[in-house]
Amino acid sequence: MPLRPALAAVLLAVGATAAPAEQPVEQVIDREIDAALAAAAVEPAPPADDAALVRRLTLDLVGRIPTLPEVERYVGSSDPGKRAELVDRLMAAPGYARHQATQFEALLNPDGRRGGGVRDYLVGAVADNRGWDRVFRDLLLPDHADPPVKGAADFLRPRLADPDKLTTDVSVAFFGVNVSCAQCHDHPHVKDWTQAHFYGLKAFLSRTYEAGGAVAERGAGVVKYKPTKGPERTARMMFLAGGPLDDPSARELTKDEEKAEKAAAEEAKKTKTAPPRPAVSARAKLVEVALRDGNADFLARAIVNRLWHQFFGLGLVTPLDQMHAENPPSHPELLTWLAKDVAAHGYDLKRLVRGIVLSKAYSRASRYATEAAPDPKLFAVARLKPLTPMQLATSLKVAGTDPAEWEKGKGDFEKRVEQAEGAARGFAALLAQPADNFQVGVGEALLFSNGERVTKEFLTDGGGSLVARAAAKDPAEAVGLLVRVAYGRPPTADETRALAEYVAKRSDRKVEAYRQVLWALVTGPEFRFTH
Amino acid sequence: MSTFCGAADHAVSRRAFLGAAAAGAAVAADMTGLDILGSPALAGELKKGQKRVILLWLAGGASQLETWDPKPGASTGGPFAAIPTDVPGLHISELMPEMAKRMKTTCVIRGLNTKNGDHGAAAKIMMRGRRDEAGLRYPDLGAVVAREMGRADSPVPDYVTFYTQTEGRGMAPGDAGFLGARYAPMELTTSPTPENIRRPAGLSDDDHLARADLRDLLGKDFARGRSSDALASQGEAYGRVRGLMASDSLFDISKEPQKVRDRYGPTQFGRQCLQARRLVEAGVPFVRVARAWWDSHGQNFETHQEMVPDLDRVMAALIDDLGDRGLRDDVLVLTLAEFGRTPAINASLGRDHFASAWSMTMTGCGAKGGAVYGKTDAKGNTVTHEEVNAANLFATIYAALGINPHKNYYVGSRPVPLVDPGAEPVAAVLS
Repeated sequence: MPLRPALAAVLLAVGATAAPAEQPVEQVIDREIDAALAAAAVEPAPPADDAALVRRLTLDLVGRIPTLPEVERYVGSSDPGKRAELVDRLMAAPGYARHQATQFEALLNPDGRRGGGVRDYLVGAVADNRGWDRVFRDLLLPDHADPPVKGAADFLRPRLADPDKLTTDVSVAFFGVNVSCAQCHDHPHVKDWTQAHFYGLKAFLSRTYEAGGAVAERGAGVVKYKPTKGPERTARMMFLAGGPLDDPSARELTKDEEKAEKAAAEEAKKTKTAPPRPAVSARAKLVEVALRDGNADFLARAIVNRLWHQFFGLGLVTPLDQMHAENPPSHPELLTWLAKDVAAHGYDLKRLVRGIVLSKAYSRASRYATEAAPDPKLFAVARLKPLTPMQLATSLKVAGTDPAEWEKGKGDFEKRVEQAEGAARGFAALLAQPADNFQVGVGEALLFSNGERVTKEFLTDGGGSLVARAAAKDPAEAVGLLVRVAYGRPPTADETRALAEYVAKRSDRKVEAYRQVLWALVTGPEFRFTH
Repeated sequence: MSTFCGAADHAVSRRAFLGAAAAGAAVAADMTGLDILGSPALAGELKKGQKRVILLWLAGGASQLETWDPKPGASTGGPFAAIPTDVPGLHISELMPEMAKRMKTTCVIRGLNTKNGDHGAAAKIMMRGRRDEAGLRYPDLGAVVAREMGRADSPVPDYVTFYTQTEGRGMAPGDAGFLGARYAPMELTTSPTPENIRRPAGLSDDDHLARADLRDLLGKDFARGRSSDALASQGEAYGRVRGLMASDSLFDISKEPQKVRDRYGPTQFGRQCLQARRLVEAGVPFVRVARAWWDSHGQNFETHQEMVPDLDRVMAALIDDLGDRGLRDDVLVLTLAEFGRTPAINASLGRDHFASAWSMTMTGCGAKGGAVYGKTDAKGNTVTHEEVNAANLFATIYAALGINPHKNYYVGSRPVPLVDPGAEPVAAVLS
C-alpha cells in the first residue's frame, strides 16, 4: 500500500509521547475488520475511487460536498500521501469544528431542540480538540464564570424541570445506555440494570435546579422510588457499574439550610452569577465516579461507538443506546481496543477520527458487485448515509455556485464556505435529522419539487451561479460541468446524451433548462446520500 | 437473540408487503389530471376494507354537559335542557337536535377519566393515548394509522390535519414521534391546500414532469448494486409527488355538488369536514379537523350555544354523507378533545379544565351505534360506572380499526406496544 511511508511519518509525529509499541489506529481497525471478513469468507468491496473518496471525506469531515477545484486537485494529484494530506487539511479547517459541533449537538439533543449556547461551546471545544472527558465534565459541571465554557450550561438547563428525562439523556448521551426501561421496572432483558440503577443515577442529578438562569445545586437531597414489589425505597447514588456509594448527604435539607439556599439563589439572581457549588456536589461526584478506572469504559466505549456510527453509518454496537452485556458489539476486540486507545490518549477524538477515515474499511466503494449485499455488520461495503440537514443544505449551496467563485481572492475560501453554511441554515431547519432506520418523507420530496425556496436560495441564475456559468457554454460542455460540480465526477456517455438532449429541447429557455438539469442532479440519490 | 425481536425483520416484511401492493395496483407514474374520486378501480380497491379515520378535535376542551352528558336540573347542569334521541333512554343536550336523530349511528363514552387538565400535556395524551416518557416520543394516532393503513405508493397523503385557529394549535401538533418524518402529517393551517402541493410558478407542467423523469434516470444507475431502505424511501417519496399534486383537487370543495355543500353548511368547520370526507373517500387513512377554541373559562354557555350547533349540524351531515356513500363501515368518526369541562360553574359563568369525568364519541367502522358506555354521578363530578382511561380508549379505537392494540413497534431493540401494557379495548362499544 503506497500510503504507508507518508502515514508512518505523520503518525510518528503525532505519537511522539506515546509508548513505542503502539499501533496506528487505522491498522488496528483494518486488522480486526479484515479478520472478521475472512472468518465469514466475505470478499469486501474494492476501494472507492478518488472522486468518491474526496466527496465522502469532505462530507464527513467538514459537512459539505467538495468544490470542483477541490475534487480536481485531489483526483489530479499523483502524490502517494494525498489522502492523509487531505484528511489533515480538512480536520484543521474551521469547518471541521463547525460540522463536528453540529454532530455533537445532535448527539446531545436528539429530539432536535435548539441547544442554546451548547453549540458555541462545542465549536470551541472541537477547535481546541478538548478531550471528550473534558467535554463531559464541562457539560455536567458548567462553569458560569469561564466564558468559553459558559454555553455548556445550556445542556443541563432546559432539562432541569424533568430529572427523569435528565437522567435518561445523560446516560444515553455519555454512557450509551438507555436506562429509562428501569424507571418503572427492572430491565426485562438486561440483568445488570435494575431500578436501583436508574434511581441511583438520578440521585446524582436530582439536586440540580435552576436559579436565576444559572445551574445550581443543593447540598443534600433524597430520591425515592416505588419498586414493582414492596415498599417505597430511598435511592442511593450508584453508577452503572459498581455498587451504591456511601452518601451522608442523602437526607432532606434542614429548615436553616433551605433558607440559606434560597438566600443564595436570590443573591445569585441579583448579581447575575451562579450560586456557589455546595460542599458536597452530587453532580461532581457523578463526574468523578464516571471517570474512575473501570467505570470510564462507559464514556470511552460510547463515544467510540458514536463516532464509528457517524463515519460508517452503523455502530459497532447498535442501537447506540443499548451498549450492554446482552447486546454485544459486532467486533468486540476492536471496540475494546479503540476505547482503551482513546482513553490512553486523553480522549483525543481527532486521533480516533483520523484513524477511522484513514482505514481501508472506511474507504471501500459503496457498491457491491453481487445482488445480495453482505451483512452490514461486516463493513464489507461502504454504507449509504443520508445527509444531515446542514450537510444537504450547505452542499446545495456549493452545487449552485459557479466553481470559479471558489478560486477568487486567495485566503477567502474559508470565509466563503462559512457564508454558504450561514445561508443554508434556514433551509436546513425544514429538513429532518436522520435517525436509525431513516426514511425520506413526502414532505421533503414536495419541498424540493414545488417549494420556491429551492429555486430562490440554491438554484439561482445570477452572477456567480453555476446555472449562469453553464448557460454561457455549449450544451455538451455545460451539462458536463453540472454533473462534475454536483457529483464530483464526469458524466457517463449516456448521461451526457440524455442531459444535452434535455437542454436542446428547451433552447427557447436555456437558463431554465440548465436549472432543471441541476435540480434533477441535486434531488437524485447520488446527491442525497454520502456514498 | 432475545433482545432483538428484530425491528429490521418487521421493516423488511412490511416493505415486502408494500412492494407487493404497489405491483398489484400498478399506479401510473403520473397521477396528475387523474380524478382519483372518479376512478372505479381505486374506489373498488379501497372498498375492500381499508379503514380510515376522521378525528373531530374539539380543541380547548368542549363541555360534556353541553353535548353528550347533560345534567339538566342539577346545580351543575347549566341552562340547557336534555332531549331524547332515536336511541330509547339516551338523552343529549338540546343544542344537538341533529345528532339526537342519529344516535343510532354513534356510541358515546361517558366515563373518560384521563387525569390531566393541562392543555399541552393533555392534548399530547389524548393524541397519543399515553403520556410521553423521557427519551421516547410516541407517535400520535394519526401517525400510527398512517403507518398501519397507508401504502408506500399511495397517490394521496397518509395523514392530513386541519387546524386553522391559532388558539392551542402549537399545543396539539400532529407528531409522528419515533416513527419519523415518513409519517409526519401534512398540516393545513391558514391555507385551504397543503404546502408545496402546487407546481411552482414559472415551471410548465411538461417541464415539471420531464425534470422528474430526468431525476429518475440519473438515480437508476446509482441504485444498481446499492441496497438501502433509506435509498428506496427517497425513490418512493419522489414517486408520490405527482399523485399528491393531483390530490390538490381533493381539497377543492367547489367540485362538490351545491346540494352536498349546503348540507355541510357555510362555516369553516363544515367546509373542512367536507374536505375531510373527500380525502378519506380517496383513501387518505387519517384526517384530523380541529375546531378551536372551546376553552370557556368565562361565558361557557354563550360559547357552547354558538359552537355546539355548528358541531351538531356538521357532524350529522358528515355521518349522513358517509352513509350515503357506503363508507360508514370503513370510516371511523371520532369526537375528542384534550379534556372536558368542570361541572362546577365558576364566577365568570365559565367551566374550567376537567379530565376526571368527560365524554367522547365514535361513529362507524367497528363502533357500536347507539351504545352508551360509562356513567357519571348526578352532578357529573365523577365516573360511577365503566370508567375509561386514555389507554383503554386508544385500545378501543385501534380494535375498531382492526389493528391489534398490543402489537409492538421497535425502537432500537425495545418493544413498544401501541397502547400501554394491560390496557384492553372496551368490548361493549365494538360491534
